[in-house]
Amino acid sequence: MLRLLSQTKLYWGLALIFLIGVLTSPVSSKGNNIFLSYGNLLDVLRQVSITGLIATGMTAVILTAGIDLSVGSLMAICSVVCAMLLTMPGWTPSAVMGVPAFALVAFIVVAALVRFVFHNRAKLRAAADGAAADVALDATRGVVLPAVAGLVAAAAALAFVLPQVSQTFGLWGVLLVVPCVGLMFGAINGIIIVAGRLQPFIVTLAMMVTALGVARLTAGQNNAVIPVYTGSNATADFDVLRSLVFDFFPVPGLFFIAAVAIYGAVLRFTPFGRYVYAIGGNEEAARLSGIDVGRVKIVTYAVSGMLAGIAGLLFVAQYRQGKPDAGSGLELDAIAAVVIGGTSLMGGRGALVGTFCGVLIFGLLSNLLQLHNINSNLQLVLKGLIIVGTVLVQERNLGELLSNLRLSVRRPAPKEPADQWPPSTESPSRQLGGSANGTS
Amino acid sequence: MPADIEVRGPQVVLAGRGVSKSFLGVPALRDVDFDLRAGEVHALMGENGAGKSTLMKIFSGVYPDYEGEVSVDGRPVRFASVREAQAAGVAIIHQELNLVPELNVAENIFLGREPLIGGLLVNRRKAIAEATALLGRLGIALDPEARINTLRVGEQQLVEIARALSVSARILIMDEPTSALSPAECRRLFSIIRQLADAGVAIIYISHRIEEVMLLADSVTVLRDGSHVVTAPIASFTQESIIAAMVGRASLGTAPAAPDAGGPVVLSVRDLTLDAATRKGWRRMLHGVSFDVRAGEILGIGGLLGSGRTEILETLFGSTTGRRGGEIRIDGAPVSVGSPRDARRLRLALVTEDRKAKGLHLEASISDNVALPSLARLARFGVRSFAGEARIGQRAVDELGVRCTGIAQPAGTLSGGNQQKVVIGKWLATEPRVLLLDEPTRGIDVGAKQEIYDLVFRLAREGLAIVLVSSELPELLLLADRILVMSEGRQQGVLDRAEASEEAIMRLAAPRARGAHAPKAA
Repeated sequence: MLRLLSQTKLYWGLALIFLIGVLTSPVSSKGNNIFLSYGNLLDVLRQVSITGLIATGMTAVILTAGIDLSVGSLMAICSVVCAMLLTMPGWTPSAVMGVPAFALVAFIVVAALVRFVFHNRAKLRAAADGAAADVALDATRGVVLPAVAGLVAAAAALAFVLPQVSQTFGLWGVLLVVPCVGLMFGAINGIIIVAGRLQPFIVTLAMMVTALGVARLTAGQNNAVIPVYTGSNATADFDVLRSLVFDFFPVPGLFFIAAVAIYGAVLRFTPFGRYVYAIGGNEEAARLSGIDVGRVKIVTYAVSGMLAGIAGLLFVAQYRQGKPDAGSGLELDAIAAVVIGGTSLMGGRGALVGTFCGVLIFGLLSNLLQLHNINSNLQLVLKGLIIVGTVLVQERNLGELLSNLRLSVRRPAPKEPADQWPPSTESPSRQLGGSANGTS
Repeated sequence: MPADIEVRGPQVVLAGRGVSKSFLGVPALRDVDFDLRAGEVHALMGENGAGKSTLMKIFSGVYPDYEGEVSVDGRPVRFASVREAQAAGVAIIHQELNLVPELNVAENIFLGREPLIGGLLVNRRKAIAEATALLGRLGIALDPEARINTLRVGEQQLVEIARALSVSARILIMDEPTSALSPAECRRLFSIIRQLADAGVAIIYISHRIEEVMLLADSVTVLRDGSHVVTAPIASFTQESIIAAMVGRASLGTAPAAPDAGGPVVLSVRDLTLDAATRKGWRRMLHGVSFDVRAGEILGIGGLLGSGRTEILETLFGSTTGRRGGEIRIDGAPVSVGSPRDARRLRLALVTEDRKAKGLHLEASISDNVALPSLARLARFGVRSFAGEARIGQRAVDELGVRCTGIAQPAGTLSGGNQQKVVIGKWLATEPRVLLLDEPTRGIDVGAKQEIYDLVFRLAREGLAIVLVSSELPELLLLADRILVMSEGRQQGVLDRAEASEEAIMRLAAPRARGAHAPKAA
């Protein structure tokens, strides 16, 4: 019973926040509960989806015992690229970055996909023969055919986007190209971490700074923001990304939920997902088990970058601008949401469901504070306190906390010779349960 | 609790009465009584999972939460922390060393209790002087200013002992102190232990090495399955009777009829070299090792710690970062093993020496661990086969006799022997042709050892080619059909079963006297 309670404490936290929201919410003039209204709740979903997408990618990175500090800057780059592609024709720096990135990603993805299909067909055949060893593909199926398919895909990708360069990009153009830019930057993170055997913290910190610079350079000196007016300087289709599906459900929320569902399924149901956990749990054991640790890590960083790219798209749709400084602090919000969701920063333990709850807890909280018109600086203080509080509840139980405090107060070590131990008032009164005892 | 523990004579310094402890409802200790007298070396024996470590952790304050009573000098105590236990004069030296490698000997000895100048600055000179005095008193010839990471493991062990005694410990608990020591270092350690006991320190000595206990201990307590079996003076025991008490059966089985080693050569190694990258360039770790292993054959590799035994396995398995040379053939075909992935594809398997650091994801379940190298093979179109993973997990548990509550049990909660079986099971699930075993019975109790031996023989009979590295000579002599002996990265010879003996191996394994590598005289 207690175990069940502690396993589900995340959901209790979410429910608690929700309950507080319902009970304390201001009431509208018609007597409706504002917090509980559909409009408000869906608005929360809209607001959290950018942070949520980034936190989704961050979860897998943290599960491998890594960290990605660059996501805010990557989102900013992608928002700039997206805004420029939408509004400025010709070979702008954004097009120079975006088009090759798209072609390269198309090549890699399709080549890997074709190889994957061949590999699985071979495996099915081998399983029918009863062989247990790993199957190996011959050169034709393993290299040549995937490469050809990849080239075809890259050519098709170029055929699709090149005409758009001379005018401005359409909805599908940015929808495909912008995430690829994020993915490439994320992959660079991963490749440097793996090939250089460097700390993810420092590599992604460097990328955070570099990418911010690249975002500003791309936007150009005179553009603090690149406005996007759908219908006048950009395609009107782009408004889809800020609209409601069936006049009801916000599209950004749809992206967020889809990302959680797909990535969650990947982490749960594929060998890749299991490798992510295994690497975070014991990287050396994973490597010695014949897992390509480097490749798995690179993919997690690349996906993190790609999701930051999608977040950049949504940012442009939401705020009608691309902005090089858009993402500052976002990485920390995302990490906080992941940790609130119960994923261990040491890696190997956690789940995307938790992150989903963490993001919602964060979003509902901000919403609640705004509904109550609480001073925005005070909001920051409260948020900070709630992060610490939630993580404490996640990681420790109360008894453990108390016993830690008690020990640290008693730190000064007795210097008396051992003979004088124990002081006569002590120990005999102790009861069972080290965490619950009061000693003095 | 009133002081109702009867005083059992001034000699008993540490006593436990009816000590019980369970983890998540699984009893680890049941109603154990234990007496330790001043000046005795009291060996605590038992298989892994018998409860030795649990009992010691209660005595040393690691687990404050237990049932029963513990008393020091007849006064009941309940240690809430290691610090309290230390203050009461109980010190423990864990199996894993707990030293800061970047600090020197004196700094480690006084870590957390540095002598201060004016309560603020560390009095370096005083620390060195006190450390020198302490080491001198213990007869340990070590430079107090030497950095820990420049010392050998055996020397580090001595630093741990010095540290434990620097808090004027009257009760010293040693958990398998010799598991990483050379014979010479063991002898030095034993003389120091004897000296301490003569000076009145009470010592609890945990070891799996029965010869050692026969040599060193005054009395022996045996635990089995968390219960007290017997306590008696060493004189009333024989090696066999200790084993019998530990495993609860009269004698161990030994080698079955010599396995047939007449199969074809599976693994063939010629002129294997390894250069490790150091700051000063490449350092040669292996100088041209050559051997063949047939299907069904067990090749043992012997030698001292650091002689290159493990490096051979790591080079074969592609798990070392150094520069490799030489030729490896499998079934006659030359292969290149650049990574553990290649090795797995070639159906090589390596069971590493350090199963916690290199073998297991301790938080994950048994079946997750077993299935890890086989996940991709089991998956269909990128989707994990949970049924397949459970099947091979269950098969490993059944075939290897892993004692657990089920395949969902986290690997970290298993005892050492059972963890080792999980690691072996993980590799057997990949259906290897060559099995590389690095110290497969290190830190494993007698009963589990015998199970591992039986398993190794069975696998050889089933046609696996096995390469086995072991520090324990009796183990090598029992298991191996031939023994390759290494010394300082060089292959010194290969002994047949007929010519192999402990003396023959040691003669080859001893480093050629060149000063630097000879063990220091105590």
